Amino acid sequence: MGLFDFLKPAAPQDSAAARRQADILMSLRGGRVPTATLDRLTESAAGTKPWMATLTPAELGIARSHGLKPIAAISATCWLHYGWSWTQGHSQGWETALERLAQEAKACGANAVLDVKMRTIKVEAGESMDFTLIGTAVKVEGLPPSADPIIATVPALEFVKLLEADVVPTGIAIGAHYEWLQDWRGNANQAWMGNVESWQLSNLWETVRQRAHAQLRESARPRGNGVLAHLNFSQMFEREREQGERKFKEYLARHIVIATTVDARKGTPLPHEIKMVVDMCDGKTPLTGTKRHHQSYATNEQDGAI
Amino acid sequence: MTTEIPVHAKERLKGLRSSVHSTGVFTSDFSVNEFLLVRKAGFEPIGLCVGTCVYHVGIQYGSWSKNQEMDVLSKAMYHARELAMSRMRAEASAMGADGIVGVKLTIKRLEWDEHLLEFIAIGTGVVHGDGHKGFRAHDGGPFTSDLSGQDFWSLLHAGYRPVEMVMGSCVYHVAHRGVLSGFGTVGKNVELENFTAAMYEAREIAVERMQFEASAAKAEGVVGVEIHEGSHGWQTHVIEFFAIGTAVLPLEDEIAPEKIADPIMVLSVND
Repeated sequence: MGLFDFLKPAAPQDSAAARRQADILMSLRGGRVPTATLDRLTESAAGTKPWMATLTPAELGIARSHGLKPIAAISATCWLHYGWSWTQGHSQGWETALERLAQEAKACGANAVLDVKMRTIKVEAGESMDFTLIGTAVKVEGLPPSADPIIATVPALEFVKLLEADVVPTGIAIGAHYEWLQDWRGNANQAWMGNVESWQLSNLWETVRQRAHAQLRESARPRGNGVLAHLNFSQMFEREREQGERKFKEYLARHIVIATTVDARKGTPLPHEIKMVVDMCDGKTPLTGTKRHHQSYATNEQDGAI
Repeated sequence: MTTEIPVHAKERLKGLRSSVHSTGVFTSDFSVNEFLLVRKAGFEPIGLCVGTCVYHVGIQYGSWSKNQEMDVLSKAMYHARELAMSRMRAEASAMGADGIVGVKLTIKRLEWDEHLLEFIAIGTGVVHGDGHKGFRAHDGGPFTSDLSGQDFWSLLHAGYRPVEMVMGSCVYHVAHRGVLSGFGTVGKNVELENFTAAMYEAREIAVERMQFEASAAKAEGVVGVEIHEGSHGWQTHVIEFFAIGTAVLPLEDEIAPEKIADPIMVLSVND
């Protein structure tokens, strides 16, 4: 049921749709771009169909003035069920989507994908989540298509700013770690004691965060020499457990950190003068940006600054 | 450095009524900055253009375990938007506009009937200050675009002009997982391939339709592409994928890439 529906005989009016779905499934399994998408991308690349870009007009201007030409808005999805681990599912889900996005970028002869956004559709579907990446594939005038297009999870203006400073955003790195703590002696919960550190929980957080960041470094290493623009997500849960006669509390801490990897050459300064301005705008100012670039994580923004 | 206040503004400040508005007043939903930038780009607003369409959306149920496009709903969502947009454009034509800037498309549900949706398209009609007709769409009618006044100025300075607001809609039913498919996934992180495939198909259909509209408008490309996912009171698992953007063409006197001015970098020192 479900997965193999397409193998069943279909009504004639459904057969084209069924063929297309079968093609999508088979292509994704084989690590290829689905045929319908491939055809569209090929035509966009050849210029026989209009190019498409998620860029704003200002971004289009700066892309043009720096020799970048948009080819197509491309996207990739991996919908993952967490039968094993929610936390590690995030790393697996984004990695898979990233590979698929790179396939689409290659299919349209791109040198880079920029303005890549992480998106998630809110559909209740059990223990699962949709990992979607959307961005704009571009070619650089005078360069041949790249065998390994770079994937930049920053908006086009930032992409160009980075390139001018000899910094190439190359992709994303992910660190995700979780750990359980069984609190047999009730040490973590010391409500009766007044001011005292709950050292078990401190330790738990420290371990989980350190491991997640260590993993982030490992994940970044093959792609560049640094990471920028962290996106942090962390959660802790408490639950009661019973084992035989004994009742105890159990804690789960999870931490996910996602960042843009960069390949930065040391010592190339930004070739622009920077003017200091006083912005007279009250409240949120467009100078500092008004929209969140990624949508998948309601990061712990509401927790407040330290 | 002081900038001289123009003669006309000075006279108005002195309390003198101007005699130049023989055509009456203009209306627009521009902010102050948008108004100034649209004028800087060589255009004048002439009037707000509105198109409305109240549409009864038909009923269609997806089969429980099947990925499928809900073509009845797709057509409804597209047709209703198209009607609202074309009515807005007809208003713009009637007032002699060369184009419409800042089109906003909104959908409202009407309280008393869950199948009635109200579609509204609203934007500001503009004319070229020197009467240049080269900015009109391929059919000689006004161009349409969802670009703000700021975006409009930026687009012209990037060497392009808007032609038509293009869109593609696909309402899609994402299959529910069968009871049995839960087996074999316990203790493993596995991809739900049919969900993934549903996303791919639905998005592809929406994007293809948008690109087709851009081709039909004889555009070179589409800027500001966004893909929205929304639900308008349908069953769970029924999602509309809606692709939208502004189709563009290079300006008649194309701006050479090296002529495009670099923005100045500033640091806001407020905090």
